[in-house]
Amino acid sequence: MSSLRFATPDALLGWLKKLAAEYRVLAPRQEGPSVLFRPYAAADLDGVSDPAALLRRATASPKGAMAPHSETLVRFSATKDEQDPAKLNVGLDAPCQAEPTVLFGLRPCDARGFVVLDRPYTSGSFKDPYYAARREATIIVTQACPAAAPTCFCHWTGSHPADSEGSDLLFTAVDGGYVFEAVSDRGRALLESSGFADAGDRQAAVEEAHARAAGSLCPPSGLEDIPARVAARFTDSEFWIRHTAKCLSCGACTYLCPTCQCFTITDEGSPLEGRRLRSWDSCMSPQFTLETSGHNPRAEKFKRMRNRISHKFSYYPQSYDGAYSCVGCGRCVVSCPVSLDIRQVVADAVKGAPGVNSDAAPAPAAKPAKAKSAKKSSGKE
Amino acid sequence: MSVLTGKELRIVGFLCNWCSYGGADTAGTARAAQPTDLRIIRVPCSGRVNPLFVLKALMHGADGVLVSGCHPRDCHYSSGNFYARRRLEMLKDFLPIVGIDPERFEYTWVSASEGQRWKEVVTSFTDRIHRLGPAPRWADIKPRYDLPFNQPEKLLEPIRPLGCGENPSLGELKQAIRDALAAKPGADGRKLEGVLGWKRGFDAVHAEPVFMQTPEDVDELVWGPFNVHNLANFLPQYKGRKIGVVVKGCDSKGLIELLAEDLIKRDDVVIFGMGCNGTVSESRIRARLPENAVIEAARGQGATLVVSASGQDFELPMKDLAQDKCRQCVKPNALVSDRFVGRPVTEPEAPADDRSGALRFLDDLTLEERMGFWKGQMERCIRCYACRSACPMCVCRDHCVSDSRDPQWLTQDDDVLQKMFFQLIHAQHLAGRCTGCGECQRACPMGIPVFALKQQFSRMIKNVFGYAAGMDPTATPPLLTYQVEEPNIKERELS
Amino acid sequence: MSEHQCTCGHKNPYLPELATVVETVQETPTIKSIRVRFDSDEAWEKFSYQPGQVGQLSVFGAGESTFVINTPPSCRDYLQFSVLRAGEVTNAIHKLQAGDKVGVRAPLGNWFPYEQWKGKNVFFVGGGIGMAPIRTILLHLLENAGDYGQISLLYGAKSPADMAFQADLPGWLKHPHLKTTLTIDSPAEGWPHKVGLIPNVLKELAPSPDNTIAALCGPPIMIRFTLAAFRELGFQDENIVTTLERRMKCGIGICGRCNIGGKYVCLDGPVFTQAQLNELPPEM
Repeated sequence: MSSLRFATPDALLGWLKKLAAEYRVLAPRQEGPSVLFRPYAAADLDGVSDPAALLRRATASPKGAMAPHSETLVRFSATKDEQDPAKLNVGLDAPCQAEPTVLFGLRPCDARGFVVLDRPYTSGSFKDPYYAARREATIIVTQACPAAAPTCFCHWTGSHPADSEGSDLLFTAVDGGYVFEAVSDRGRALLESSGFADAGDRQAAVEEAHARAAGSLCPPSGLEDIPARVAARFTDSEFWIRHTAKCLSCGACTYLCPTCQCFTITDEGSPLEGRRLRSWDSCMSPQFTLETSGHNPRAEKFKRMRNRISHKFSYYPQSYDGAYSCVGCGRCVVSCPVSLDIRQVVADAVKGAPGVNSDAAPAPAAKPAKAKSAKKSSGKE
Repeated sequence: MSVLTGKELRIVGFLCNWCSYGGADTAGTARAAQPTDLRIIRVPCSGRVNPLFVLKALMHGADGVLVSGCHPRDCHYSSGNFYARRRLEMLKDFLPIVGIDPERFEYTWVSASEGQRWKEVVTSFTDRIHRLGPAPRWADIKPRYDLPFNQPEKLLEPIRPLGCGENPSLGELKQAIRDALAAKPGADGRKLEGVLGWKRGFDAVHAEPVFMQTPEDVDELVWGPFNVHNLANFLPQYKGRKIGVVVKGCDSKGLIELLAEDLIKRDDVVIFGMGCNGTVSESRIRARLPENAVIEAARGQGATLVVSASGQDFELPMKDLAQDKCRQCVKPNALVSDRFVGRPVTEPEAPADDRSGALRFLDDLTLEERMGFWKGQMERCIRCYACRSACPMCVCRDHCVSDSRDPQWLTQDDDVLQKMFFQLIHAQHLAGRCTGCGECQRACPMGIPVFALKQQFSRMIKNVFGYAAGMDPTATPPLLTYQVEEPNIKERELS
Repeated sequence: MSEHQCTCGHKNPYLPELATVVETVQETPTIKSIRVRFDSDEAWEKFSYQPGQVGQLSVFGAGESTFVINTPPSCRDYLQFSVLRAGEVTNAIHKLQAGDKVGVRAPLGNWFPYEQWKGKNVFFVGGGIGMAPIRTILLHLLENAGDYGQISLLYGAKSPADMAFQADLPGWLKHPHLKTTLTIDSPAEGWPHKVGLIPNVLKELAPSPDNTIAALCGPPIMIRFTLAAFRELGFQDENIVTTLERRMKCGIGICGRCNIGGKYVCLDGPVFTQAQLNELPPEM
């Protein structure tokens, strides 16, 4: 038997139903005009006749599966001291649990998003136990991207539409069904228990699908030395002001982003009974860095945008071996109310950076220059 | 009555310190028998009752809310209750759109000497709430996720011909802007710093705002169905600087409202206007193309947008693509401008039924269905507040009450009540100020139809006060003023 | 500078250690010192920190805020945080009384590189509430005065009433190993010390840069001009040490708001030499 398995649409749905009995199954669901990752119980899956309904491109990234929009870090409650009723005793409880989860139907860019999040959350001197617990409890079943949207640019960030990084299982839609491939050991275990048929003879179809998807991407960036050149732009305020003039300073880009991890911590409830919550926050908000004294190092929106772009393309790569904190999913481009295109900002930042030939890097719409960062994805890695 | 049935409901009363609280006191001193459901919160004046107090109570489990103040003309602060009357009347009209029975809220006037009247008011209101029974709880309502009024076949027929063809006056507009940028400083000694307009966005069906400062920038100016953004939104951040702005009819309304509220100065702004033939909803274009189609080009042919995508041409009629607000737009030309370029677009008659598709849909639902609708829609809110950032009238910017911890209106919990309540704050703060640009909804990355909440307020304001925001820079929004006799507010007697 | 090491005893870095307020000291009308001790004897025994490290002090229901621990590590009776009343959390802290429960997440961040200062003179400058981080390292150095050269302190506040740590001042003024200069911004009746802004007084004192470390802390405007004064006096940037303040939430380098370039003030700071800051993007 080859390492590939084939599932017909019915077999896939049957498998998911089986999984739903054991795991929380999160998969894309259409709500109004948007698609979000939502839990599916087995009964919900009964209403699904075609797996295509579970494979839509999600409007919001699945990062909430590991880092929820809001979660309780600590519960606190105060009770009167039995000896001295004027005194309060405080009890603390840190609910750090994670439900066994299968995250299904995300794209390779989303799966890579978790790899990006893993570094700050789990690789530093402090490990985030809430994130780590969910990460540990979640099996990631990724679909190879069937085709790139015009806003996709995963190849700018060192990836491609069939990238398996961050996934436990990767599957590819082919004629008549889906071909699964195990990426990790636990993905392999899950696949072995699936009962899917051997798919050895479909390797060519898979490779063809991957090549087709890779061919649908926009031209590669041709940008080189991005972290240093973005860093060199830092003091060019005029550049950032120009590129941020249209920005509304909302947080849509950051909240939809699979790699933005900024959060805030607030106490809710009363001192007698309350919760310390961690919830998503956005570096695009003026309050994000506002100090109690009134001082704000990023009071203007160009400084906030500069920080966001620099973080993704300069600070993060400098801290983590050149990896970008951007996976090229394009959600920030698609959903920006003013169509701000991060590709354009990065390309322009790199293009005219000090000491750089301005012809070296084409704008995203231009014809491909020499491909450098894009891995050609004619098949599996 | 509760005392007799032994089952109390949760009724919150906001009573003014000077009259109604005294009236309740008088009733108590006289040992008048009263129901015990009412929980009284004493406030300095009925004018202090922020409608959000009422909404907060009703959203978080109150079965009824009663506001009582001094009789009109008897206000301790002379006019607090006059303002309250307008706000609370609008609030009562607003409630049904979110599925709250307006009967659960009432406002009335009781003086300090009217102990007997107080007894009657509180008895009658409590009886009413008991007849209605416990209020439905958001947690128990079945959510509804679909947006039927967004379906292609449900879209309203535009009341005027919409088009996307090339505007022959664009060259003239560009020249006017180039001239203005090149002009010597004016009488005030100031030179035009730049002009807000649109240029092509990341693909052929997107435009993006641009701040034009050079003649080359002006070359990039576009005019057409993709100029969706309300550029008035950017004006307050340039306050005190002399800048220009290109406006569509709807944008000019936002600009007028900013002028009316003294948030920008007329002398600071040079306004360029052209007639608008309608703008598109990007998601409606997407929905009519194959998934992942790469858009190569788009050109307007009269009322048809021809989109070339992945090597194929798609002919898309504007009436299928237009934003909802454009379908019923009666003011396509800039209402105020220093330089109006080209021929004004013919302004259509206002339709007999000027309700949006969303309001028509909501009007046909039961209260419970409406609550379920909003629950389903708001569940997908990610609290990015793009609605707020895109709103030209959200002028508090980084001092929004929703971000405040004291008072704290919202928690950081990821629950639908918090998300909905933010929309109620937004709608409430825009009552009588919203010019209907719909940017809140267009900006929403999750496609939540939040504009309908503002439209509900706007229609009530129009019905009761005959007022529409953004028409007259000298007008005062109706909730910021009052009349001693309100011809269109019929007070309801509770006793 | 010392590399950051996690000396935190907790498994869950977000779970505070429960502590009880032992005592409070109203230092000035707007500054209050809170002295706390962990409720768990075991946690208290195991707890250690370095001068300059910070802690997240929380009042349950109001939230957490970051403050430097301004007692020297040798103090085993309590941890002291000195808090300027400004926002929601600091207001709640100002209402604390002995016996009240608080939460502490500490120690966090790096510390003053005092090991590298041995054999050198150290000139401290503290402005207003910025005296708090200086206090911890100053006390630590005084305990080990033999290891260092001349230790000096210039401490300034708006007025005599705004001068915190009054209980410490008489001792500091007559300490055999410490040269103390106090200054206030404008003249006040009965004030026997200097009058003038810190940078001006510093120039007047004109400490020699030879074999001397300058450590300063205070509000941004004071830092700016004092830094300029030290440079004018010939101090090299690698010998000027300061502590930074940023809005912080997690305190452990994850929540994303206190970065300057790729460095997180909560994790890689708050103590930086001016030479290190020069390497970071100019985003103060």
